[in-house]
Amino acid sequence: MQCRCLSPLAGPRGRGRPRGGRRAALWLGLWLAWWPGLWLAAAAPAQARSVTIQSAQAVATDSARFPADLAAPTVELPDDWSVSRPGQAGPVWYRLNFTAPGLHDRGELLALYIERVCTNLEVHLNGQLLHSGGRMSEPVTQNCNHPQLVGLPAGLIGPGLNTLDLKVVGRPLSQVASRHRAGGLSALQIGPQSTLEPVHAQQVALKVSVPQAISATLLLMGGFMFVLGWINRRERHLAYFGALSMVWALVEARLWLRDLPFGNATAELLLGALLPLLTLASVQFLLRYAHHRSRWADIALPLQCLLMPATLLLAGPGRLHAVAGAWHLLLALQVLAAAAFYLRTLRRLRGRSFWPMALLMAVAAAALALEFVSQRFGFSSLLTQVAQIVTPLLMVLMGLRLLQQHGRALQAAEESKADLEQRIRDATAEIERNFTQLAELRVEKVTERERKRIAADLHDDLGAKLLTIVHTSESERISTLAREALEEMRLSVRGLTGKPVRLIDALGDWRAEVVARLGQAGIEADWSSPPEELPQTLSARAFVQTTRILREAVSNVIKHSGATHCSLSCALADGDVQIVVRDNGNGIPMELDGRLDRGHGMASMKQRAKQLQGQCLVESGPGYGTVIRLTLPLNRATEAA
Amino acid sequence: MTNILLLEDLPQIRTWLSSLVLQVFPDAQIAEAARVHDALGLVSAIKFDLALVDLGLPDGSGVDVVAALREHQPETQSVVVTIHDDDEHLFPALQAGAFGYILKEQPRELIIEQLQRISQGEPPLSPSIARRVMAYFASKTKPQPASSALPHVSLTDRETEVLLRVAKGYTLPEIGQQLTLSRHTIADYVKQIYRKLNVSSRAEAALEAQRMGLFGR
Repeated sequence: MQCRCLSPLAGPRGRGRPRGGRRAALWLGLWLAWWPGLWLAAAAPAQARSVTIQSAQAVATDSARFPADLAAPTVELPDDWSVSRPGQAGPVWYRLNFTAPGLHDRGELLALYIERVCTNLEVHLNGQLLHSGGRMSEPVTQNCNHPQLVGLPAGLIGPGLNTLDLKVVGRPLSQVASRHRAGGLSALQIGPQSTLEPVHAQQVALKVSVPQAISATLLLMGGFMFVLGWINRRERHLAYFGALSMVWALVEARLWLRDLPFGNATAELLLGALLPLLTLASVQFLLRYAHHRSRWADIALPLQCLLMPATLLLAGPGRLHAVAGAWHLLLALQVLAAAAFYLRTLRRLRGRSFWPMALLMAVAAAALALEFVSQRFGFSSLLTQVAQIVTPLLMVLMGLRLLQQHGRALQAAEESKADLEQRIRDATAEIERNFTQLAELRVEKVTERERKRIAADLHDDLGAKLLTIVHTSESERISTLAREALEEMRLSVRGLTGKPVRLIDALGDWRAEVVARLGQAGIEADWSSPPEELPQTLSARAFVQTTRILREAVSNVIKHSGATHCSLSCALADGDVQIVVRDNGNGIPMELDGRLDRGHGMASMKQRAKQLQGQCLVESGPGYGTVIRLTLPLNRATEAA
Repeated sequence: MTNILLLEDLPQIRTWLSSLVLQVFPDAQIAEAARVHDALGLVSAIKFDLALVDLGLPDGSGVDVVAALREHQPETQSVVVTIHDDDEHLFPALQAGAFGYILKEQPRELIIEQLQRISQGEPPLSPSIARRVMAYFASKTKPQPASSALPHVSLTDRETEVLLRVAKGYTLPEIGQQLTLSRHTIADYVKQIYRKLNVSSRAEAALEAQRMGLFGR
């Protein structure tokens, strides 16, 4: 019933992993509750219809048949040899009689159920060998953990008194490390096979199948974790836990290997060698899990692994149980101390998992304590059987928890790695951007310096020579040409080195020059330009080219037009700068119309306007004066390098 | 008698300038120099009334000579005679105390006229120089606690007005008309602007030197 009630609750187990202490503790409780519940539910009805035999005649002799000639006293069953015949190795013959009235009428199959026989047995019914558990001489087949169900053929059962003889071979307690492997025979049950079969199956499950399944799980999981921890230097505790699981699985291997190729002494020695290994793995796991590494433990624990089998060997088979018992206590104390150390560290670090881990270890410690008590006082109960299953189950749980932690750590590491990669990419991009900017700045700086050097050279060298020509030439024409060349040079240098010019400043410069020149020539000048602030700028080159065009236009007015008045207007329209130079002079003579360029520089004005993506139109008629319309796209003029 | 310093490295131009100066000041005594070093020697020996200083010289810049004259002979009028017309070159000379500038390649008559105007107290002022001066004083308006001991120089509204108009390309006579002031008054403003530029620059330089001294110790 308990089982049925609990199973729906156990449902979510597969869906969500235990998160936090309380849930882990709950699942642990459910697991613990499940096992005895199952056992009780199945075992209860079997008691009713079978007969339990609690005494038998017993005689210790190694004969082929029950020795009828020897005195066979009656003994209580279960017969624990360590109590009834200490030091004896058997074999012991047991005889019991039973009647089965009306058996044939009921048409039932009878069976004998032996809950525990250690180490092996043969069953004879009415003198016929009916069943053998395996080899009866060394190496004896190990059946201590395997309940026996022997079918009693109806043909062999008489209507009267039937005799059942059991030959049991076993070992004295002193020759085995654990009481579980000491010789003895439990109480027997005879009854219908259909009744006893479930009882037997239940006992096999509890003592053999379930431990086998758990240890197989531990072997697989442990192997995986061992490799994981071995590869990953930072997660060495996983390797130790893996080793612990695998060694445990090895200890449990005797459930599979009932027929060993060597005798009891060797088997006990091998098992004795495994236990300190188990301790080493447990203690190291707990220490490493608490982020602690003890040099002392690193040396002492492997030494112990050699020492224990050596002492067992030295003690000899006769004192095996006593020596092994002392060792067991010592090993258990070591594990308990490591667990206490781990829990203390966890508490100090205020780990979230303190309480579930404390519960887990308390349960494990309780199971261990129970085992010790049962070893010491020689009782076996349902509780001790459950306790033996609980410990490996806890190990499975613990392993799952460790793997989960490892997975999460791996995931976190992956995430932080991805994050780091992203940051590196960002930083690299930033560096590249900076580097590009820096390179551009450097190019700009070098270019600037080079421009300045060229400008200085031009001034110092060409400028000085032109200047000399200006002031020393006999010819006025050459002087003027040289002066113009000098001005050109200056403008070129400005175009080469200059920064962008604000349009408002350019207009100021042009006005000052134009008005001054026309004024000197005695021509009345009239300048109009937008009064407001202008945000636009001109590139140095556009400024220089426009200055040249204007200068040429004004020169024409002064030299050729004969005008008395000249008006200049500047306006912004549709993103263009429009400059109109209008004089009241003679206009351009007809005969010059076809070749305006001559001395008037018209061609160069048009050429320059074209270079700035603009245009320069000349309107003229004899007697009507001349109008020059210069249109420059402002944005292009701004962009022009 | 007028003592005039003529600093020019090109011999032919020096000769030409010399004859030009003699045309304006017939009784002038002209001391010629071709290098900054020679000119500085002359400055320490002779008291000049007028100095014509070229900027780009083989052993340095004429700005140093202008500064030396301003330092030792504050009454001397320094005029920069140069091939450079850009404010990059001219502005430092004006800051050092030059009272005007003449572009060398201009026709003889124009230079003579300009020289006469300067000597009569009418220094030239181009739009780009005017803009530069405005920008300079605009940057001065920021409070400078350390300079409290030094004379704080700023432009008057009228001076700023004149500068603004020069920057827009108006000639000095035009500005006079616009502000209904005489040509001489406008010229006085320009002279005042040059002087303030020099005083302010010197104060700034002194402050800079003081700062360097303080930190250098």
